[in-house]
Amino acid sequence: MTESRVFLRKSETNELVESSLLDEVTDHHLAMWNGSWRPAMEAYCAGRVLRDKPEDHHWDWKWKANEWRPLLGYHSFAIVCENDLQGLMVASDFKSARLQAQFGKPIVYVEFVATAPWNRPELQNPPRYRGVGTVMVAAAVELSWDLGYRGRIGLHSLPKAEPFYRESCGMTELGKDAAHQNLMYYEMTDNQAERFRQK
Amino acid sequence: MTESDKRTMTLNLTAREMAVLEQLAAAKDLSKTGVMRLALRLLQAVDSKIRMGQKLMFEDEKSKEKSELVLI
Repeated sequence: MTESRVFLRKSETNELVESSLLDEVTDHHLAMWNGSWRPAMEAYCAGRVLRDKPEDHHWDWKWKANEWRPLLGYHSFAIVCENDLQGLMVASDFKSARLQAQFGKPIVYVEFVATAPWNRPELQNPPRYRGVGTVMVAAAVELSWDLGYRGRIGLHSLPKAEPFYRESCGMTELGKDAAHQNLMYYEMTDNQAERFRQK
Repeated sequence: MTESDKRTMTLNLTAREMAVLEQLAAAKDLSKTGVMRLALRLLQAVDSKIRMGQKLMFEDEKSKEKSELVLI
């Protein structure tokens, strides 16, 4: 497991806080998810109707971990800051690009990515930290570079995250995917990845 | 995985297999090693799904006709 130094922005003070990006979700991270993230999500969802719950409220990261862990083609990431879990991501490396300019070439596909409930403005205002999504997209791009995929990545976005991928990350929108719960599909080309890395 | 974790092997391929490997490397914009590693990860993922009782299907985008790929 490799630990990289990254920075999140503390909302209250606007300071950058040193954090750790780990390229493997361990049992310790899953215990943190179960001990603090999950109860915070459940507390927020209690008494709310389905449409008012976060789109990922039902994601069980322990269950997901059992699926991806034995497989070489899956890569998991965790962000820890001030001894708390701040974000989780799982990406696969054997899917192909759909965008015409890179059609058929392998991409890193972001299967699941989520920030902790206390980092979401709709759950906690102000959120504790900002920047988890950007760090995770950067991690996916770096993984793509390491694999020889030149930074190409792809993902299906939950509706509320669409502006982030389109505007902040500069990804290309390829339309809603009927085969994937009608979620919007995005891809980042090697050129877009280069621009994203320079930000 | 760090470089020191890697193991080296010699791979003997027929001329046809090598030609396909080179063709795929060019098409996928990968090294030949990259193609072999991708193939290994893909086969493991597919095999895992099939062991769980799932099927590998291909769908023609225009006709929507589906065909199943059976792996041995």
